[in-house]
Amino acid sequence: MLEVMHLTKKYGKTLAADDIGFTVPDGRVGILLGPNGAGKSTVIKSIAGLLRFKGTIRIQGRDSHTMEAKRSFAYVPELPYLYEALTVREHLEFISRAYGIPLSEEEAASLFRRFELTDKLDKLGSELSKGMMQKVSICCALVIRPKVILLDEPMVGLDPAAIKELKAQILELKAQGCTVLISTHMLEMVKELWDVTFVMDRGHILGTYAREALANEDLEELYFSVTGQDRPREDGRQAWER
Amino acid sequence: MGAIGYLYKRTLINRTKMALKKPVTYLYLALLLFYFLALPASLKVVMQGTGLDSARDMAGVLTVLSFWLIPANLIAYAKRRGLVYRHSDVHFLFPAPISPKRVLLYAHLKTLLMQVLLNLFAVVCGGTLFHVEGWRLAVYFVFSIFVENLLEAGIMLLLYGSERIRERQQGMVIKAAYGLVVILLGMGVYAYLQEGLSMDALSRFLHSDMIQLVPLVGWYIAAVHLLFVGATTVNVAGTACYGLLLIAVVAAAWRMDCKGGFYEDAMKFAEDYEEVLESRRQGNVKRLGKKERFGKARIRWRGHGASALFYRQLLEYKKSRYFIFDISTVVAVLAGAAVAYLYRKEGGFGALDPYRALVLPAVAAYMIFIFAGFGGKWAKELKSPYTYLLPDSPFRKLMAATMMQHVQALVNGCLMMAPCALVMGLALPEALLCVLFYVLMSAGKLYSLAVAQILTGSALGATARQLMQMLLLSIAIGAAVMGAVMGMAVGGRLMALGIMDLFLGLFTVIYMVIATLNFYHIEA
Repeated sequence: MLEVMHLTKKYGKTLAADDIGFTVPDGRVGILLGPNGAGKSTVIKSIAGLLRFKGTIRIQGRDSHTMEAKRSFAYVPELPYLYEALTVREHLEFISRAYGIPLSEEEAASLFRRFELTDKLDKLGSELSKGMMQKVSICCALVIRPKVILLDEPMVGLDPAAIKELKAQILELKAQGCTVLISTHMLEMVKELWDVTFVMDRGHILGTYAREALANEDLEELYFSVTGQDRPREDGRQAWER
Repeated sequence: MGAIGYLYKRTLINRTKMALKKPVTYLYLALLLFYFLALPASLKVVMQGTGLDSARDMAGVLTVLSFWLIPANLIAYAKRRGLVYRHSDVHFLFPAPISPKRVLLYAHLKTLLMQVLLNLFAVVCGGTLFHVEGWRLAVYFVFSIFVENLLEAGIMLLLYGSERIRERQQGMVIKAAYGLVVILLGMGVYAYLQEGLSMDALSRFLHSDMIQLVPLVGWYIAAVHLLFVGATTVNVAGTACYGLLLIAVVAAAWRMDCKGGFYEDAMKFAEDYEEVLESRRQGNVKRLGKKERFGKARIRWRGHGASALFYRQLLEYKKSRYFIFDISTVVAVLAGAAVAYLYRKEGGFGALDPYRALVLPAVAAYMIFIFAGFGGKWAKELKSPYTYLLPDSPFRKLMAATMMQHVQALVNGCLMMAPCALVMGLALPEALLCVLFYVLMSAGKLYSLAVAQILTGSALGATARQLMQMLLLSIAIGAAVMGAVMGMAVGGRLMALGIMDLFLGLFTVIYMVIATLNFYHIEA
């Protein structure tokens, strides 16, 4: 379970997150939505332990700064940055040592097969394309066997096969009781995944919506109605053209 | 082996393997080995001549180094900017269940190899230049690598990793570090007022008891003096203080609570660092932590096609704080002033005086050659796909993309040559030909970069491209020198400058034509 309570973060005088609070229970997929500058990245980086903040974040009931919490938490950032001088195989080995999780050859091979990385195992981080880096980043997160996983725009740069595979992985994690939080703008990609959606704007949560409570409403409709942003017309013409 | 040990080991092995595959590594290694051995050997004569070749003098050199190295490190750690993290560390290491203290030590460990090399160099210098006994050098090496590092790591953990240290306290540490510098400077000024400026006075100051009483820096100096000069009451006491400080710092760092509050600053530093690395890869001058500020400006856009390149650059220059002036302007002004000063001070160039007008182009050529790696806006244009996609002729694009830099070269050339021409009493045509040389040489630098790019392609990398550019520039300079010799033989100084410019201009045009073909080729 992921619990965010009274999260407040300031950059100088700018309030990036103001008393944010939400919970994603075990086995549920939460989606963090919001326009650019809404404060999603601040929330995500705070959960990942990269920022100083006021408030409390709990992972599986433990303070997010503790080693126990970190051991059960995986993070896939929006832009993957691999170690230039480590091979794909070595990245997984490093993660398995860092999290103290034994990784058998078969497990690693199965993961590489699922994300079509089998022929890239000895490639260095600096030799991979953005999409390949994202796949390695996802594999590293999965190696942890997380109880809580945070994915920031995970579909960007992935090919259709990898997107399909990632969606399947997310559903598998959900079935195993893992808490999933995804931040994305690609609403189409997550429409069959989500259980609860948090819509953010200007550092606030504007609304929390459970799938069961929204019988027929589309995620996209929900986003535009809550944020008040103009929805582009179906014929592709922008609002300013009208 | 833990995760950090594994990361360090694999990175080192893989980087070594990668480096060994590149031919340029062997060139660097040969240069490094040459400097490692030749520098102490060549300095030996100088040191013997000045009588600065004893173990005591080595202690003096280390004292001078510690004056700025120790306070500089303190300031960097207090500002949380002294450790280098990459984006990959932020991605994988920071969220991992690894103690933040270990994450700090990992960054510190990255500098270990360089420290070992520098201390080995100090040991070689100690043996060859200062005739220090082997056992003292061995003790110094162990002291530097283990004891000094332990203290530095402890201070780094306390300043960088502490969650209790607030901004105000950070500021106090920074002020204290500057305070140390002020105390040492004050002592230096006092010694100067008492004894005047001489090598003996400087030596007495560097080995004086008073500086060994200054906390931290002085205690380090005391330990160095104890090792290289021999025991005195003051240096034994200073060394004891150093030891006590070490124990206190290590104990405090060990007990300190650290949950990773520094990750935010480290992440910001990693972003700045990657930005600087990327900028340097593109041949720009960018300093860590110094963001370029842009003001507001407007221009009237005229023309179309390639003109857009020119006006965009003009707008960028107008928004820039220093307009078209940059480091090359500073270098040109300083070089011009230095040549003029020397000429005036020495009352001419002696036997070389008849050729004095040729000294200026020689200095300009050297400067431009040395700064050949910094491509400025032109290098950016060459990397931008928009430059190639723009619907205009390659020649017009080349002209528009380089015009502002030619103007900059003209201004820099005038700033450099004017004071020299006045002091040396050059005739106006001679001065103008010197300025023309500067402009042609700068243009040659720009176009040779494009030619080097064609010749080396993208596979060979930035170093090969830079070496090729320097080779091309050397050829142009060689032709100019030949022109100058011919001109001098035929008709004197003015003729020499004229033919020199003509030959240089010829090569510049050749490079320009090839650069134009580059645009055409890519468009095709």
